[in-house]
Amino acid sequence: MLDTNVAFPTLLALSAGIFTVGGFGVLIRRNPLVVFMCIELMLNAVNLAFVDFGRFLNSEEGQIFAFMVIVVAAAEVVVGLALITQVFRSGRELDVDELSELKE
Amino acid sequence: MTALTVVVAALAFLSAVGVVGFSQTIYSALSLIANMVCLSVLFLLLNAQFLAAVQVIIYAGAVMVLFVFIIALLNPGAEDSPDRSSLRYGLGVVAIAYVVVQFYILATNGTTFNKDTHVLRGQTLALRANPHDPSFQFTTDAVNAAGNVQTTGGQLFTTFLLPFEITSLLLLVAAVGAVSLTRRTPQDRGA
Repeated sequence: MLDTNVAFPTLLALSAGIFTVGGFGVLIRRNPLVVFMCIELMLNAVNLAFVDFGRFLNSEEGQIFAFMVIVVAAAEVVVGLALITQVFRSGRELDVDELSELKE
Repeated sequence: MTALTVVVAALAFLSAVGVVGFSQTIYSALSLIANMVCLSVLFLLLNAQFLAAVQVIIYAGAVMVLFVFIIALLNPGAEDSPDRSSLRYGLGVVAIAYVVVQFYILATNGTTFNKDTHVLRGQTLALRANPHDPSFQFTTDAVNAAGNVQTTGGQLFTTFLLPFEITSLLLLVAAVGAVSLTRRTPQDRGA
């Protein structure tokens, strides 16, 4: 079991760090699959913050919220990967810079 | 703070950097799996046993298997460099610096943590933040006496019943959407 006094701010900082790394990845990577994985990374970081806060405030709501986030992330992955597969099947390059048809 | 926490937290951060850093997509995916397992261990240490199991089964299991399967199917090549334009890279660094500053301001002003009185003081959390307040029913001991899975399940099916049911609708929509997106139309088959 963790000592809440020390672990709470440390794990919040870790959560912020992982979120930042994920956001950086979304901005600089060009492969849509990796961009997707970076979004998953950011969702995971938010989950850690939820559970950390829930433990600190002696509340179950943090865990319930994290559970909902996991479910939404799973649904998002299913639809997103289907879209990426369709884009690849239509013969386009897997590069978010090249996928600009929606823009025009 | 145990040595285990430090090691797992460091591993979680390193594997997060690995997701962004590796140029081969499959290495990024494996790094993400490592990150999720590390977070699951942290959930266990935070007394969230049910969520730790869900994290491993759904995230590291189902979601990442889907990812690895799609990577094997599409076989994307390695990226030669993260981004060709250095302007984009610079903008990314500026945006990240902005986020870090925001986090810092939030940590120092928005929500402050008093180590001695064990009180979290923030603009919105101030009233509810005292764990010694008797209105907090989900203390670690109380949850452990009843069982974490039982407590979480009880909450899911009573207080959070409506969000739970909406979640099932969301999963149905996602399943139908995935099928309709990847379905081959008769024209595709003819061509």
